[in-house]
Amino acid sequence: MKKQYAFFIDAERCIGCFTCAMACKNQYHQPESVIWRQVYPIKEEIYPHRERAFYSLACNHCENPTCLNVCPVVAYAKREKDGIVVHDQEKCIGCGNCIRSCPYGVPRYNPERKKAEKCSFCWQRIDAGHKPQCVQSCPVEALQIVDLATFDKPGAVQYPPGFPKYPKLNPSVRFLMPRLPRITGREDI
Amino acid sequence: MVIDPILTQIAAKADEYWQVKTSADGALALGMARYILDNDLYDKDWVTTNTIGFNEFAEYLKRNITIEWAAKESGIPAENIVNVAQEFATAKPATIWIGYGLQRHVNGGATVRAIDALVAMTGNVGKTGGGARYGHLQTWGFNYHALLQKQPEGAKGVPGKAEVKGDFHFASSDKPVSYSDRILNINKTAQVILDADDPPIRLLWVSCKNPFSQDFDRNKMVKAFEKLEMVVTVDQFFNQTVEMSDIVLPVTTLFEEWTINASYWHYWLSINEQAIKPMYEAKSNIEIAAALSKKMNALRPGSCTFPTTIDTKAWMTKEFNQNIYDLFGLNSWEDLKNGPVKAKMHPASWHDLKFKTPSGKYEFKSELAEQWGHKALPEYKKPREKYDKCRLLTPHSKFGLHSQFVNMDWSEEFNPKPFVYLHPQLAAEKKISDGETIRVFNTYGEVIITAKLSTVVPPDAIVMYEAWFKNNPYNVQNVVDDTSSDMGAYKTGQPGVAIHDQFADVAKV
Repeated sequence: MKKQYAFFIDAERCIGCFTCAMACKNQYHQPESVIWRQVYPIKEEIYPHRERAFYSLACNHCENPTCLNVCPVVAYAKREKDGIVVHDQEKCIGCGNCIRSCPYGVPRYNPERKKAEKCSFCWQRIDAGHKPQCVQSCPVEALQIVDLATFDKPGAVQYPPGFPKYPKLNPSVRFLMPRLPRITGREDI
Repeated sequence: MVIDPILTQIAAKADEYWQVKTSADGALALGMARYILDNDLYDKDWVTTNTIGFNEFAEYLKRNITIEWAAKESGIPAENIVNVAQEFATAKPATIWIGYGLQRHVNGGATVRAIDALVAMTGNVGKTGGGARYGHLQTWGFNYHALLQKQPEGAKGVPGKAEVKGDFHFASSDKPVSYSDRILNINKTAQVILDADDPPIRLLWVSCKNPFSQDFDRNKMVKAFEKLEMVVTVDQFFNQTVEMSDIVLPVTTLFEEWTINASYWHYWLSINEQAIKPMYEAKSNIEIAAALSKKMNALRPGSCTFPTTIDTKAWMTKEFNQNIYDLFGLNSWEDLKNGPVKAKMHPASWHDLKFKTPSGKYEFKSELAEQWGHKALPEYKKPREKYDKCRLLTPHSKFGLHSQFVNMDWSEEFNPKPFVYLHPQLAAEKKISDGETIRVFNTYGEVIITAKLSTVVPPDAIVMYEAWFKNNPYNVQNVVDDTSSDMGAYKTGQPGVAIHDQFADVAKV
């Protein structure tokens, strides 16, 4: 397999602190409500305790990206060397095709620039030998950058409960599920 | 294992979580202690060599505490208490990490003492990886140069408690500060402003604190501010205290000044370098003090001893002393420019088994405690009487600290508005649905807020986080009173506050 960078989300380690999401905003200063990375609480049907387990999600840098396939002006490119899907805002005409088509809802509309934008995997930082800012900022190593060509973490899954399954896209993302504590509730209520 | 009234994020990461009844942790600890005593699981050698008063404590446990009683008080089944007591006593080392919320009760001090006793009787104190963990001031031995300026010639103080030596008065221990400032209880800010009459407080200078968001009983605080003739507030943001002030002075952010960073939790020390020059009219706290001194001395020479010009970087360096350098293995504060350093300390507190008690031993029975109005033994103390339908807990939000950070745009992006957690059972009883705007109210005031239904809280408690959101009147202090906790006066001059001994009802708007 070719080199393909991916985000590894260890929901067992994640404490939902939002540092990754805030680090992204701090790095790129996107306008209000333009979010490249968001921390989603896992639905209670999947993890019974509300807002106590999370998936930190951004662009999945798919093997077969919808955004790239639907873009009329070839503003998207998938890097040969590491599989990062890069959006070139200079080329973007703001038609919204990618925003409407990505089943993961990743590309966002920037109302100031009137163009689409999304997580870049911090490719400029990668090229300079650094980790993406979100990964760098995670205080508990719950968010990591991995290469799927060599990744073999036991128990890691591509489609955990609550994360939509699109095998044709083959999203470059892997997860570990959170565990549950044994609970002793109150006897008096 | 995590013991907490709320299923917190830490509880979610635990192997085992116990949803203890709020303010009943002391009963739980004493129940465990009774089991450990009855089953000869305590560390006899350690207790004999290093403690005093154990026999009296054992006698107290036998007479007053049963596991069944502890189960009833704490809500945790007796079987669980027994199993964990067994495991705790036999695992060496074993440790208990005491959170800060635990002390914010009318029985908070007694609870911490009971937990300490449990840890001590199992011989875990002074052992690496063992012990009772709590906040500390081990790395705070700075010079407090800016605080310890002498009063002007001929200054008259206010009669009252002088010479109170708080936790922060390390460096001055060889040269006692003989001030006669009036010491007022910081945990009853509103009440002491209203009560002070000899003479009354006419001017309040608020520096880098937001009493309207952080202090208790907001409605009383409004009355207190109305009594004051003038309020000056030094802050970075237009917060709820600033709204109530007459004069507002912009203060620098940490990006604009030099300062030192220590903690009362971890043991690291770091330096905060000035990244940018102060913007616009912003000045650091001590520069503002110097400017004030300059004006006061112009109006009346000698009326203020505080220097009139200050270099903030130079003043930061005045905080360091040889003890700090030795503790952190530094030659100079400049070494900190290479990165933070950790205190060079034994990993276990009290590893030398020399305790800072009058006897020099661990004291199950403390005469000093008795002198300060507490029980000599770590006896159970009853929680505050319930005064409204549900327990109300107002802990810190993960998005901020008191009223800091929640108002920042990058923070509000992910935490846009306040909410209250309530259990679906309580919500059903009150016909409240998820996402609905509701009232949280008690005798002190009310908060209008969005309901979030969740089983992370028990049916008899609600949780909303202390915070200040910009352009939002939300304030938990509307429904938190200023009742004191049982301890704190010995070390700080004033007791703490029972923040988590609050109660409230909820209703549809």
